[in-house]
Amino acid sequence: MQKTKTKEVQKTENKQETEQKTLVIGVIGSDVHAVGNRILEEAFTQAGFNVVNIGVLAAQEEFINAAVETDADVILVSSLYGHGEMDCKGFKAKCVEAGLDDVLLYVGGNLVVGKQDWEPVKKKFLEMGFDRVYPPGTMPEVSIADLKKDLGLDD
Amino acid sequence: MKIENKKWSLEKFNQIREEVLKQWPTGQDVDLEEAIEYQKNIEPKKRVTAKLKEAKESGITLIQPRAGVALIDKHIELLRFLQDEGKADILPTTIDSYTRQNNYEDAEAGIKESREEKRSMLNGFPAVNHGVQGCREVVEALASPLQVRHGTPDARLLAEITLAGGFTDFEGGGISYNIPYAKEVSIERTIYDWQYVDRLVGLYEENGISINREPFGPLTGTLVPPSVSHTVALVEGLLAAEQGVKNLTLGYGQCGNLVQDVAALESLRELAAEYFADFKDIMLTTVFHQWMGGFPQDEAQAFAVISWGASTAALGNATKVITKTTHEALGIPTKEANAEGLKASKQVINMLRDQSLASNDKLEKEKEMIKKETKQIMDHVLELGKGDLAQGVVKAFKAGVIDIPFAPSRFNAGKILPARDNEGAVRYLDHGNLPFTEEIVKFHQKKLEDRGKDEGREASFQMVIDDIYAVGQGELVGRPKKNKKEENSCK
Repeated sequence: MQKTKTKEVQKTENKQETEQKTLVIGVIGSDVHAVGNRILEEAFTQAGFNVVNIGVLAAQEEFINAAVETDADVILVSSLYGHGEMDCKGFKAKCVEAGLDDVLLYVGGNLVVGKQDWEPVKKKFLEMGFDRVYPPGTMPEVSIADLKKDLGLDD
Repeated sequence: MKIENKKWSLEKFNQIREEVLKQWPTGQDVDLEEAIEYQKNIEPKKRVTAKLKEAKESGITLIQPRAGVALIDKHIELLRFLQDEGKADILPTTIDSYTRQNNYEDAEAGIKESREEKRSMLNGFPAVNHGVQGCREVVEALASPLQVRHGTPDARLLAEITLAGGFTDFEGGGISYNIPYAKEVSIERTIYDWQYVDRLVGLYEENGISINREPFGPLTGTLVPPSVSHTVALVEGLLAAEQGVKNLTLGYGQCGNLVQDVAALESLRELAAEYFADFKDIMLTTVFHQWMGGFPQDEAQAFAVISWGASTAALGNATKVITKTTHEALGIPTKEANAEGLKASKQVINMLRDQSLASNDKLEKEKEMIKKETKQIMDHVLELGKGDLAQGVVKAFKAGVIDIPFAPSRFNAGKILPARDNEGAVRYLDHGNLPFTEEIVKFHQKKLEDRGKDEGREASFQMVIDDIYAVGQGELVGRPKKNKKEENSCK
């Protein structure tokens, strides 16, 4: 009995190891908000993901290069300073061009300048090719749950 | 590049100036002699220095918001509203993030798109692109004095254009506008570039034009212990004074514990009086920043945070307070929300005008510790530089002797870790390589152990994360959830 259980545990562990998903995270454009970025790295790592953090002031190309190099499953873009709309323009097309058609694109933060209704902002970013769009103040748990769902991981 | 804390010769300044003014076409419109004449004609009530002097002498706290949009007419409209409706004492012009990275091409695209979309696509006013005349249009349209607020590691061209454009106050410094605002820019580089800015301000002073300078106090705005921000304020102030700056506003960002915050403001004034004793004709004032961390999304809760900041500024006798808005959690505020933040702050400040926090043992102890810590860091910085402050700062950052928490720069050691104690004061959970004596280290350890005991957990990075989110979620100290339930069940 004991033996079987150990084997089971071992098996699950191996399964998790081979299935560890890679996330590229960073803060796009001329944005230097570093605190949330560090918290997300910690939270995603603790949730079992392999996190590649390219940090703040990251250009679209840096996200894409990091995703290509690490064979990433998801790119998560943060933007806190309001230029998100300009900085994310054409991002999906560049991903497709780099052969990252299947890589999931998440974006979140204070994405536009000024207080605007959330739904039109969300719609705008979904139309730009992002798979998930998060409003300001989203806790890491929310995106972790979505990641697990979208990547078909058991909780 | 060898830097030293020595006043630049005019020859060296002019040599570099030629290059600076070529960074963007609008630089060619800057004529220093003409700019000095223009500044001479700005009446005293429209100079920040005059306003600060008056406030300092009468012991009142001035209010100032942050604000900036892409287009000149819209920017004037915004500032007029904050002046007339919000009754701001000093007006800001917050510079957009592309300009802060010297990316004038993207700023130009942002101006164009803002015109097309009929809304600001930039998070601030692109002053370099608008040029000297654009800045003068803004200054001339308003009755209150104006300060440039930004976050620019290389702000030389921005300073040239805005000062020639009639602004009378310029925020920033070689540390405070590098380490929290850049990833790949060396300290040598920014100290050098800010010596240029300070030398330019010094030139205006030599010609009878008083311009205020304000090192950016809050740094990363995230649990920054007072002795870290005081060190940076003193260092940047001293480097500026060497280049001829005569008016300095030293800053500090609210941590949240009243006693610690008032102690920070008082100790900052006392330390400054000591460190600037050799500069006889300098005017020193202070600025207090309302809470710079995450805000609650609920507007009523946000008003409470704003009012708590205003209370602390008034009780600590800050010369000026930078106000926040109820839209803080959501990004850049509307002009209405911005004016409301000003009004709420003004109400509290007026009510507390004749009060200050009475001296007590706790306050004195906090002041003593902040001063000791700051002096220990300052002493070590000077030692590392063999008496030269500029060289000392470069070495201090390499060695982690100055270290700023949660900063994006790779030239920052990033070894220190702050957390709140049981009363919400910010302490060193890990002091990294800060050159503290055993007494200081133990003081902080004890404070955090006490909190850990109360919460039934070890002080750790999780505690720090909880503290970072706490204010946004309606508390000051990030208690574990389990602990909260127990507390409730006891009541």
